[in-house]
Amino acid sequence: MGVLIDDNTKVLVQGITGRIGSVQTKWMLEYGTNVVAGVTPGKGGAEVHGVPVFDTAEEAVRETGANASVFFVPAPFVLDAFYENVDAGIKFIVIVPEHIPVHDVMKMKETARRSGVVALGPTTPGILVPGKGKLGIMPASLFAPGKVAIVSRSGTLSYEFAGILSDNGAGQSVVVGMGADPVVLMNLPEILKLFEEDKHTHGMIIVGEVGGAQEEMAAEFIAAHVTKPVAAYIAGKLSPPGKRMGHAGAIVRGKAGTVQGKHEALQKAGVHILASPIEAGHWVKKHGLANNA
Amino acid sequence: MRLHEHEAADIFEKLGIPVPRRGLASSPEEARLVAKDLSYPVMVKAQVLVGGRGLAGGIKDAKDEEELEKVCGQLLGKEIKGLKVETVLITQKVPVEREMYMGITVDGFEGKPVVIASMEGGVHIEKAAEKSPGAVASVSVDPFFGFHPYHARGLLRQIGMTGPLLGKATGVLTQLYKAFSRYEALICEINPLAMTPEGSFMALDAVLEVDDSAVGRLKGVIPDPKTHLENPLEKKGKEIGVTYLDLDGDIGIISSGAGLGMTSMDIIGDKLKPANFLETGGGITEELLYRCMELVTSKPGLKALLINVYGGINPIHEGAKGVVRFIKERDLKIPVVAKALGNRQEETWEILRSGGVHVVTETPTEKAVEKLFEVVGMV
Repeated sequence: MGVLIDDNTKVLVQGITGRIGSVQTKWMLEYGTNVVAGVTPGKGGAEVHGVPVFDTAEEAVRETGANASVFFVPAPFVLDAFYENVDAGIKFIVIVPEHIPVHDVMKMKETARRSGVVALGPTTPGILVPGKGKLGIMPASLFAPGKVAIVSRSGTLSYEFAGILSDNGAGQSVVVGMGADPVVLMNLPEILKLFEEDKHTHGMIIVGEVGGAQEEMAAEFIAAHVTKPVAAYIAGKLSPPGKRMGHAGAIVRGKAGTVQGKHEALQKAGVHILASPIEAGHWVKKHGLANNA
Repeated sequence: MRLHEHEAADIFEKLGIPVPRRGLASSPEEARLVAKDLSYPVMVKAQVLVGGRGLAGGIKDAKDEEELEKVCGQLLGKEIKGLKVETVLITQKVPVEREMYMGITVDGFEGKPVVIASMEGGVHIEKAAEKSPGAVASVSVDPFFGFHPYHARGLLRQIGMTGPLLGKATGVLTQLYKAFSRYEALICEINPLAMTPEGSFMALDAVLEVDDSAVGRLKGVIPDPKTHLENPLEKKGKEIGVTYLDLDGDIGIISSGAGLGMTSMDIIGDKLKPANFLETGGGITEELLYRCMELVTSKPGLKALLINVYGGINPIHEGAKGVVRFIKERDLKIPVVAKALGNRQEETWEILRSGGVHVVTETPTEKAVEKLFEVVGMV
C-alpha cells in the first residue's frame, strides 16, 4: 500500500504511442508499475511494450479495468482527454504535459471537484512510491524505499531532494510532484493530508518556490492537523521579482508569495526551514528518519 | 503576455466599455495632430509594460500645445523602470468625480476566476484595500457557469452602489469578465475606473495580461506576441522555445527546470552573481542545447557557465552532445561546470568530459557550485 498508488492500481497511459509516452511506458513497466492499457485515437489494436492500445478511454477501461491514468499528450489535447478519462471512470489522473492554458486547468479542477476524481499536475513529473511503482517521468535511479514523504512544486527539485535523502541513507515513502503551474489540480494541503494519514510516512519535506499561496495555505493546515515532523525549502530567494500579478493578485491574497512570507508562515506552524537542499540530509538524520534509525 | 494599454483599451471598447477618445503618437508632431482631434486638456501616457507607471512619472497631462510638446519631449525616448518609451497614448482628459476599481484575476489556490470591485481606485488601491476592507468586495466564479449580470449586481451592492449607477456599473463589470474569458487573461483590470460628474463610467486605464500558454490558440485574435518582449536575448529564448531571463552578473546558468534553476541562482548568489537564467523545460535535444549554449554565452563578460540538469523526461545524453559540439566548434574559453543526473547519466558524463567540461557526479547543487567557485579561482 502507498499514497495514491497501491496493489490495485491499474494504469492507463494516455498518448502511449508518442515518442515520450512510449519510452516512459517502458520505464514505468521496468519499475514494476501495473500498466494495463494505452490510449491513442486511431491506433487501437496496436501494442506498445506488450501493453494493448485502444482508441478510446471507455474501451480501455471496459477491457482492462484501468482505474488510474497518466497523460503524455500535447497540451492542446489535454482538456478533451481529461474529460474523456473522467467519464470513463478513471479515479486518479496524472497530467505530465506543460504549457496547458490556465483557463483549461480551471475547468479540469472544477470537473475533478464535481466528480471526486483525484488529479496531479499539470507540469508534474508525477508520483513515485519507491519499490512499488510510478506514474510519470521520475528517473528511478535516484529513489530508495524509506520513511520520508516529499512533495515538490518543481519537478527537477523533487529529484534533487530524493537523491540527497537517498545519499544520506534516508529512503522515501512517496515522492509527489505537485506541478508548477499557477493553478494545480491537487493543492498542497490535500497532499499533506495524505502524508499525515499514511502509516509508512514518518516525516515530510515540502519543496516550494516563490509565488502563489500554496505554502501559506499549507502552513495553516499543518498547524491544525499535522503531527509528523515537517521541513520545507523554498526556492527563489534571489530570483528577480517576476511579472507583477497586477493589483488584483495582491488584493486577493495580501502579502502571500514572497520567500520571506512563506518562511514566516511555515515557521509559525512549527515547520523547520531548510536554507538549501543539502540541509535536508542533516534534518532527516536528526529526526531519526534514516532507514537504519 | 501583457498587452499594451492602447491594445487593451481597444479590446475593452469593442466590448462596449466606455474608454476616453485617444490616439497613439511616437513623435511630438504626431502627438499634436492627435491632440487637435481630441481638444485640450489631454493626458499623455507612456506605453511601457511596467506596473506603477504613474508613480514612476510615465503619465502626465497637457493643457495646451506648448505643454504637450514639452511633455512628449520628457517621455519619448526616455526610460521608465529600464524600458524605453517608444510611443505615447494621448487621451481626452475626463472630469472625475470618483476613482473606482474593477479587476478579474485567477485565484491560483481555488483554481477559479475571482472578480473584484472597489469604491476606492487609483494608484494606492492596494493600501486602500488593506485600510478599509469594507470598500472592497470580491466573488469567486464557477468556470463553467460563468459570471452573469446578477453576480455583478450582488458584488456592486456589497460596496454600496445604488440607483442608476448600479445598472451602468453592472454593464462594465459583465463586459470586463467577457474580456477576461475571451482573451484567456490572467489579469484583466480597470484602475482607475472614473465615475464622471454626469454619472457615467469611463475606463482611464486598461490592463490585460494573456496567459502565455494560450497565446498560440489566440493567434489572430490578440496582437502579435513578437512586439511584446523588450530584451533581445529574452526574445531569442522564446524563439528557440526556452525561458531566458537576462540578469546583470557574470555566471551563466542552464537548467532543465525552473525550481532547479532558481536554487542554482540562490546558492551561487551567496558569492557570485548570475548573468542569466535559462530553463529548457522538458524538450531537450542535441540541437536545443547547442542553441542554449549559443544564447547564454552571447552575453558579454561571462566568467563561467553552470549546467544543472536531470534526465527524467529529458534525454540528457543528447543534450550533452550539443554542449560539447558547441564548445569544440566555437572554441569556448570559459570553464563549464555540469551536474547531470538521472537516466543515462554515465553516458552523459563521458560525453561532457570529452569536451573538457568539469563534471560533478554528486547530487546536491551545492557541490556543483563549489566546483564552480573552484574553477573561477574563488575557493
